[in-house]
This record gives sequence, C-alpha cells and structure tokens, in this order.
Amino acid sequence: MKKYWLLMIFILFLTGCYDRIELEQQAYVIIIGVDKTDREGIYEYTFQIANPEVGTSANGGSSEPATEIVSVEGGDILSATNTANAFVAKRMTLDHTKAIVASEELARSDDFMRVIQVATRSPQLRRTIQLIVSKERASEFVNNFEPLIEKRPHKFYQFLLQSGQEIGFVPDATLHRFFQITEGDADLFLGIYTTTILEEVKKNHDGVEDDYIAGEVPQQGGTSTQFMGSAVFKEGKMIDTLTGEETRITYMLDPTVDMENIMATIKDPLDPNFLISYQYRQKKKPKISVDYHPDKPTKINVDVYFVLEVVAIPSLIPYPSDTEKAEKLQQAVIDTLTEKTDELIKKSQTEYESDPFYWSLYVRSAFKDIPEYEKADWHKKIYPNAEIDVHFHVQALEFGKTIKDFDLRNVRD
Amino acid sequence: MRFFQNKKPTKKEKEDQKLPIHPTLTENIDKMKQLFSYDINKDFSMRTLTIQQDQKKGCLFYYGSIVDGAMINEHIIKPLFENKGDSIKNIVTIENVEETTEFKTVIQNINSGKAMLFVDGEGIAYAMDVAKFEHRNVAKSENESVIKGPQDAFTESLNVNLSLIRKQLHSKHLINEGIQIGEKSVSEVNILYVKDLVNDDILNNIKERINDINADTVRNLEVLEQYLEERPYSLIPTMLYTEKPDRAASYLEDGFIVLLMDSSSACLIVPVTFWSFFHSPEDRYLRFLYGNASRIIRLCCFFLTSLVSATFVAITNFHSEMIPPDLLLAITASRERVPFPLIIEILLMELAFEIIREAGLRIPNPLGPTIGIVGALILGQAAVEANIISPIIVIVVALSGLSSFALSEVNINFTVRLMRFIFIIAGGFFGMLGLTGAFLLFFMYTASVRSFGVPFFSPMSPHFISSNDTIFRSTIQKEKYRPDYIKPKDIQKKG
Amino acid sequence: MQNNGFLKTREIFAIALIFVSLKATDSTPTLIAQKTQNATWMVPIISFLLILPSFLLMIYLLKKYNDKNLVELFEAVTGKWIGKLLGLVIFLFCMSALMFESRNYIDQIKVLYFHNSPMEIMFFLFIGVVFFGAKKGIEVIGFTAWISFPIIQFTAILVIVLISGEVIIQRAFPIFGSGLEQVLTQGYSKAAIFGELFVLLIAYNATKESRMFRKGLLLAAFVGLIEIVVFYFVYITVFDYNSIQKAAFPFHDITQFISFGNFFTNIETVFMIFWLFAAFLKFIILIYFTAWIFGTIFNLKSFEPILLPISLLTILGGILPFNSGLTELVYHERLLAWLSLFFIAFPIVLWLIAWKKGELKA
Repeated sequence: MKKYWLLMIFILFLTGCYDRIELEQQAYVIIIGVDKTDREGIYEYTFQIANPEVGTSANGGSSEPATEIVSVEGGDILSATNTANAFVAKRMTLDHTKAIVASEELARSDDFMRVIQVATRSPQLRRTIQLIVSKERASEFVNNFEPLIEKRPHKFYQFLLQSGQEIGFVPDATLHRFFQITEGDADLFLGIYTTTILEEVKKNHDGVEDDYIAGEVPQQGGTSTQFMGSAVFKEGKMIDTLTGEETRITYMLDPTVDMENIMATIKDPLDPNFLISYQYRQKKKPKISVDYHPDKPTKINVDVYFVLEVVAIPSLIPYPSDTEKAEKLQQAVIDTLTEKTDELIKKSQTEYESDPFYWSLYVRSAFKDIPEYEKADWHKKIYPNAEIDVHFHVQALEFGKTIKDFDLRNVRD
Repeated sequence: MRFFQNKKPTKKEKEDQKLPIHPTLTENIDKMKQLFSYDINKDFSMRTLTIQQDQKKGCLFYYGSIVDGAMINEHIIKPLFENKGDSIKNIVTIENVEETTEFKTVIQNINSGKAMLFVDGEGIAYAMDVAKFEHRNVAKSENESVIKGPQDAFTESLNVNLSLIRKQLHSKHLINEGIQIGEKSVSEVNILYVKDLVNDDILNNIKERINDINADTVRNLEVLEQYLEERPYSLIPTMLYTEKPDRAASYLEDGFIVLLMDSSSACLIVPVTFWSFFHSPEDRYLRFLYGNASRIIRLCCFFLTSLVSATFVAITNFHSEMIPPDLLLAITASRERVPFPLIIEILLMELAFEIIREAGLRIPNPLGPTIGIVGALILGQAAVEANIISPIIVIVVALSGLSSFALSEVNINFTVRLMRFIFIIAGGFFGMLGLTGAFLLFFMYTASVRSFGVPFFSPMSPHFISSNDTIFRSTIQKEKYRPDYIKPKDIQKKG
Repeated sequence: MQNNGFLKTREIFAIALIFVSLKATDSTPTLIAQKTQNATWMVPIISFLLILPSFLLMIYLLKKYNDKNLVELFEAVTGKWIGKLLGLVIFLFCMSALMFESRNYIDQIKVLYFHNSPMEIMFFLFIGVVFFGAKKGIEVIGFTAWISFPIIQFTAILVIVLISGEVIIQRAFPIFGSGLEQVLTQGYSKAAIFGELFVLLIAYNATKESRMFRKGLLLAAFVGLIEIVVFYFVYITVFDYNSIQKAAFPFHDITQFISFGNFFTNIETVFMIFWLFAAFLKFIILIYFTAWIFGTIFNLKSFEPILLPISLLTILGGILPFNSGLTELVYHERLLAWLSLFFIAFPIVLWLIAWKKGELKA
C-alpha cells in the first residue's frame, strides 16, 4: 500500500504543476505603450521586452538587441499579451513592468480610464507602475528608445525616473496614486510627461532653467528620451501639461509626496546680470489648514518651511558675510516662489477648477460623514472659490562649505 | 530474569546452565570442557594447579585472548603456590574476587574476561577479574571537532569511557548501573546518571525498555539505539549520539541519563529535545556573544540546507515576479541553453552531491583526494560548460550541501538531508503553497515527537522552567535552572 | 482528549490570536467597507464592545460550572436536549465558517498566485494539509502556534512598517464614513466576526489550569482586536474609501504594493508564505474545534476520526458555489447578521437560566 501511495504522489508531481513555468519560457515586459486606433474600443499595445542575454556574462548573445519591441491591437492589456504570443515565442509576463506609456492623444480621450482600469484586476500589473504620457504615439516613443550606456532597459527607465522625481522635474505618478485621486473624485493627478522628439529651443526663455516641458530641454548628445514636466489629469482624463518648474511647486505644496533636494536658480537680487543657484530642501512637510465655510469661500492656508542652501554666487556679492544682503536674497527667493506658486494656483482655480496638490484631504475633517463631504463638492464648489494663502518660511539659510568667496579682483592681480 | 524464559536454547543447554557447581573438581572440569568446547576452541585455556595453602587441587579457566596473562601469573598462580591465608580471597592478590555457585554466572564471567578458579571440594567458583580487552587509545574527537574545549573522545572501552566521564564530573552521586542484555551473547549496558538529580520515572522507563529488548545479541550502542526508540520509521531521532565525554558530563549534570556500552566509542543521551541536536558543545565554551553568533549561523544553515533548493525551485517556477529584475534576467540568461527543467536540474545536482558525499565516506583513505577532484571537476565545471546545468544551480546546491555540514550531529543531518528532497518536490509541485504546507506538516510532526515523554520542542513550547537554552543561550551566570521537562529532583542549579 | 498539562497561557494566546487576527487579512474589510466606507476601522471596535459583555458572561459561567466545556455547559444549564441543540447551532456556525472562509482563502491564493490551477486541486491540497495538521491534536497545534507566533507577528508588523510611507491619515476623515448610523448598524450586524471566540471555549479544559485558558483567551481577544483595527485603518488610509470597496483582497493588495528598497520591489511572496502559514494554522484550529464540538454533542470518546468527514464536507461545500463574489457578499453577509444576534443574546439567556436555577451561588 505504501508503495502505491508513493507512486501516486510521484505521478501527481509529474503532472500537477499548472502554474509552473520555467524562467526562460517567459518574456519580461518592461514598458507597455498604449495608443488609439481607428476603431472604437480597440487599442494598439506596444510591449518592450527585455532580452535576458544582453548584459550578462553568459557566453554569446551579445550581438542581439537589448530589447524586442512588438505592437499588437487588442481590447485590453491582458488580451493583447495573448495576441502578442502569436509571434512572441515566450509567454508575456507583466510582473516586472515599470511603466505604462499612453500617447497624449489617448490620454486626452475618454477612453483612457477604460484602458487603465484593467490594471486593478490583474495581480500582474502592480500599483507601483508609473504612468507616463508621451507627446507622440506611444509606439513611436517606445521604438525610439535607445539607451547608450545602460544596456538593461528597466534600469534605464528606473534611473531616469528616479532622478527626475528626486529633483522634482517629474511627478511621482504611480498607478496607486492615479486610482486614489481619480476614484476620490477630487484633486488632479499628475502623470509623467515625456517625449523623444526634441524641439527647437524656446526663444523667449527667461533663463531660469526648469521652465520646460519634455522635448524643450536643450540637449546635445545622449538619448533623445526626455522626461520633463507633467500631464494633468482631471477625472481620469488629461487636460493640460505642467512644466518642470510647476511640477516642482506641486511637490513643495503637497504633503503626501516625498521630495529630496531641489536645485533651482533665481536672478541675483543685487545684480540682475547674474543668477544664483540654490538648493531647496523641505525638512518638514508643509502645513495645510483648511477653514471650511459652507456659504462663503473656504480659506486655505498653507505654510511651507524650507531650508535654503546657496550653492553658487557667480556675482561674487558677499551674501554669506553680510546679514542685510543675505536677508534680501532670502526675500527674493521667497518672492519668486510665492509669485510662481500664486500663478499656478490661479491657473488651477480658473482653468482646471481643481488642485494638483491633493489638498482635498485636509477639508475632509470638517465633515461628519462622506455623503456630506461629497455634497460639498471639492471640484466644483470648494476649490475654485477658495481663498488660498501660501506662505514660505525659510527655516535656515546655509551657504555650503565656504563662508566667503574669493575675491576675483585679487586673483586677477 | 528473562534469560530463563526464552525458548531458543535447547532443553539440555538450559538445564546445563541451571546446574549448580559440583563439589568435586573433576566433575566441574568435565562440565566446563563440555560447555566451552575445550577440544576445538583454541583460545579457551585451562590450567590445573595445586594450592599451596591446603594442597587442594584447583583449576583455572579463562579465554587466553581476553585476559592479561602476566596478571594471572603474578597475582593468581604465584600467590596460590606461595602465599598462605585462610581463604582463596585472601591468597590471591587480585582486586576483585567474586564467588559463584552457578554455571550460568561462570559462563558470563568467562565471557567478560575473568578467570574462574574451581577448587576441589568446594561447591563454589571464584571469578577473578583479569580482563584485558584490546581497544584503541583515547584519541581526538574526529566527528565532533571543536576548537575551544576538551578534545578527547570516547573509545571502545567502557572503563576508559567511564574514566573520561568521571574525570569531568566528580560526584559521589554519579551512578553507573549495569544491565545485561542479549540472549546468546550477553553484553552489558551501563546506565549513568546522577542519583540526586535524575527523574526516577524516566530512569525506570529506560531500564524497562532495555530489559524488554528481546534479541540474541545487542552488539553495541548503535544497535541498542534502534532497539530503544519508539518510532523506528520516524524521520526524527529521539536519542542523542555523541562521542564527547564533556558533552555527556554536561547532560549528566542537568539530570539526563547516559547510556554506555563496552564496544562503542560513543554514548547515548536520553531524553532529548530538538535543541540538543541543534546545539554544539562548543556553544557553551565560547563566550556568550560568540556562542550565540555561531548558533545564529547554525540556524541559518538549518534553514538553508533544508529549504534553499526548494525555495529556489518554488520561486523560479511559480513566483518569478519576486526575483529582482536584474537577477531574474541573469538567471534566465544562464538557463537559455540548459536542456532540463529547473527542478530536474536541482534534483540531479542534489543527487550528485549526495553521491559525492556517500562515495567520499566509503572510499578507502588513500583514494580520498581523488573524489574531491573528480567531484569538483564534473559538477563544478564540466556540467556547466557543457550547458547541462546552469551555474546558479551549482551555487544553490553547493550552498545547501555546505550548510548541511554545519549540523554535525549524524542523525539530524540525515533528517535534514532527506527532508530537503521532500521539500524540493513539494516546492516543484505547487510553489510556495506546496512548500509552506509541507514545511508546516513537517514542523507539526516534529512538534508531536516525544523522546521518553518529553515533547520535542520543550522548553520553548510547551514551556518549562529551564535556563532557556533553546535557539540562544543566556550568560552562564543566568543559567540557574535545570530543564524542568525531565523533572529533575533538584531544579535549582545555582543562586 | 489529550491533556498532559502541556498547554499554558501562551499556547492558548497564540492559538486564539492567530485564529482571530487573521480576520484582518481576508475579505471582511471589503465587505464592511461597502456600507461604512472609511469608517470601516471602527466597525470591529463596536462589534467587539457589543460582544464583549456576552463573552465575559460566558467565561464567568464556565468558571462557575467548573470542568465543563462549552457544549457541556449548555447541557448543564438548559438540559440535555436544548443544550445539544445550542451546541448544534455553534457547530453549524463552524461548518459554515469553514466552507465560506476556506473558499475565500483559496480564492485569494488562486487569484493572486496560482491563476491557472484548478480550484479543486487547490482545495484538496489546502484542506489536505489542514487535515493532517489537525490530526496531530490540540497540543501540537498549540506548540506550533506558539513557536510560529513571533515570526508571524513580526511579518505582520513589517507589513505595517513598510506600508506606513503610503499611509495618509487624512483619509480617515470624514470620521464617520458613510454616517454614524451606518457604522453602528454594521458594528452590530458584523458582531459575529468575533463569534469565533466562542468556538474556542470548547477547549476550556485543555490547559493545565483553566485560569491560564481564560487569561490567554482574553489577552488574545484584545490583542486581536487591536491588530484587526490597525490593519483596517491601514487599508482605508492607503486605499481611500472608494478603492477599498473595490479591492477584494486588501491585504494582498498591500503586500503587492510594498517594496523593500529599490532592489526588492516585488516581495509579496515573502508575506504570502507567513500569511499562508497562519492561514493553515487557522483552519487547522477551526477544523479541529469543529470536530471537538461535534464530538462533545454526540458524546464521542475520541473525535479525531470525525476530522476526515468534516474535511471532505468542507471541500465539497467550498467548491459548490461557483461565483466567489456571490458567496462572500450575499451568503456570508446574511449569515453574519443572523449569527450576531445569536452570539450577543444566548450567553445572556444562559446566564438568566442559570441564575434562576440558583446554581450561581455556589
């Protein structure tokens, strides 16, 4: 009897295994691109698949391309992976997908929600996937991908996005955030804006270096993939773009996102021919207090605390040693920030009628329950009419590791 | 005694053995010659002599091969010829002389290396201890080596082993009790315990079980172990087998019981818990932190050796999303040209490793180095270069194999190595679901094992007062209690 | 029943805690969130407060009627036949919990990790392991629960710590979710989620002393409540009220979301292992106690042979309903509401009867 049992177990072991799949039988999709097609409800999906043999020391294979890119048409992402298997030998796996790229055309249409909704159904698509909007067709964007140094595509995207998010050029646009904001039916979601088609340098640029959206950043050499600025989504539909600088401001005002140092420049307040570079660092989260009034405009008061570290003073004005001048510099920074912030807030109140800062969270505590809160309507009633005051406070002014710049005149002597 | 109840010896033999010793010497000599097949048994020696004292005839019997000839001459024969005294006991200069009136004991005594003196006209025989069994000298422990701590190991001699233990544990309460087992070839099991600590129930249980053994011969401790255990088909050992006298002494101090036999170079310690197998004597000799550090590593090894291959199979075959992308691509790239499914690869390599191990153990010493070279070449390089096995598999299997050596206790080592294959199959069958299920069942099975009534994971669960020497040990000052799960008579160690 | 006096407070604590707190990881929060939205985390507190007096009363009665377990107490208080009937209700509650919940757990495993495997095979595998585990008996279950308890708790805390970056406290507002009234009614109708505490009372005499049992069980009830509330709170603050209603398996959504640095991004399988370990234990406990209750009702000397038919029945009942969403949402919902009343009321009735009979003075 014992022997039969063993035999049965062994047979089970040989046949069972429904979900078993060998590593080399899977194709790992790194990026999914989504485009509109002529037909309603059918979209073109572009999958970028990593080639495991590139970049390993395993012998051979180095002449193969780093990725394989395939495009298929289908109703949703999962069925498209099935269709793609008609000509991709391995089973498509989305577990390691880093980002979904949607063309701006699609993002601006009503269909976008339908395409992206599937991501909540499948455990393969994770909530950490970044949502990217490309100016051109997504298939074109994916096909233009040609990293020069990073052989592994997922690393390229990961590093590029990560550094962009750390310095605040691009928003943190996870699917998770997209769903929370869109389903919460308040606030604006910011997607990453990107392109591979570079444009002429903007003529009337004021020299402050981050006022670009993707494609406008002047560059020479390197890959043509640029991540810059953000795509503004309202109720699951793209309505506009923000520049890199505006994106940064959303970082400053939104307590739910983490940010590292931001490098920025302003005009030297005492010598407008020069620029001053500084690092902007938030040690604590901005404080947002919302004073809700059902009948009159709601008051939103925002206090932002930051550390200002001056990095470069090309004009050689001795700010570090002169308190008065330092104060002027400090005020100049605050003024510039306030000005730009007010501009963005105004734009959001009038144009978008909603905020990209996730501030609806702070009005919630003014309500007893959700029906009441939903009735008050953040989108239509509260935010557009709100009186918003943003105050920037410098917690500390630092001048890096040098106290005094050398005097250029003395050097020249 | 059980000796008389058994059915196997013929009636004649039985009666012979029951016979009392005859008063006349010639009768006894005939009897002895017949019992020990004197005409054909070449090393059975007999020497007749006349005792100086009262000029009576006497006859000395012994096995020439297991007695000390010089001692017989010096301390028996010479005194008998020359000295005077009122009884035989006072004449011979042997330390231990016993009297007996039965042939049964005579046989036993001669078998255990004593010389028997029959004297004409007396219905008794004198047993004089002149045994000299050959045995190795005390050598360095080879299977349980330590860096810090005593190096000596048991050898195949009861007296030497006892002396090694008594050297560590000076106590008048340390008792060495002997129980005879075996029907055709009688051997003695020595039960060592500390009288004022040991729990009598456990002691009686062990004695009972030893007495219950119904076998012609129990040659040595290794066989005895199998006779004593409750579940012969179980994967889990229930007795600790060690060759280190210091380890035996430390268990004796805590109230455990140690079994010794003359013919084995090790002892058995009962009852045991899982932790006894997991611990090494060196843990206690190393300082607190160092000892615990080595415990952590050993715990890692325990999990690695039993689970690493299985986890690797489960993850790569079922949960590839878990592997970080770079690693995933690296493993995938290395597998592109390998012809086998991953689980076959792993099983092949694990099997190969076991083969090397088994062959390496059995190979005659001069050939030893060969096996290493062949094994390393075949497995490490040739298989990978021929794309039969992917390099990562070699790493995984080598890791699991190497880790298994950290669990040096021979029984638990086998347990883990066998379980490894079950886990691999479970992991290959249903990924982490299969593996978790298999591990849980294994764990529960282990928890249900009892060694002489002691649950296997005590004192962790069920909880007992003890020094909490489980995964980690505390500092030596804090170890105040003997483990309560063996219910020692005195639980307080110090303080 | 084996009682070697090996079980003590800590084993009962571990058994009860694993048994109760695993409620935090199944689909119950989604079920509750349908009605109460982001006040979901308050519901267990209200349920617990509602059921606590009854539960304490029950323990008090058990203490008075020494040496009796749950079903024996029923018989002692209400007479043989009504007592058996009450026991039968508890038994049916256990059976239904076994069927619905095992189905729910298998669904979780299947949808998230074993998409292509047939449900039947997974059921057999899962319940098979549970069956063999339960066969080892209450003591071994206790040992296993206690030894695995620290590591299971550790991973639970790790989940909370790793997700804490995503927690936005403001999402807990407006504080009363879909309205105070809703929260209170839900709190009442979901009181049965703590009904499993009553099931555990069948093992009243399993410990060395019954004092240890009481201590372990009460401690576990409170710690379990805290764990459930913390997890529910994390769910609603991570997902917000609209998404939690859609997430069928919030615990797994959370584990899929978290990452350990940039290198280990998809670590949900790690948590799945320990969750699965706990899930196995939970069902081992449930199935064993179900058999125990059955054995006591029908005065069986040894109830271990009952485990096999109960296991088979669980598989059968679990496979039957085809749509898992329907099973969860419709049947379970209704069942919970009915049973809530039962669990709140019957200890009080029992106490009244016992008091009337004057048996409480002794």
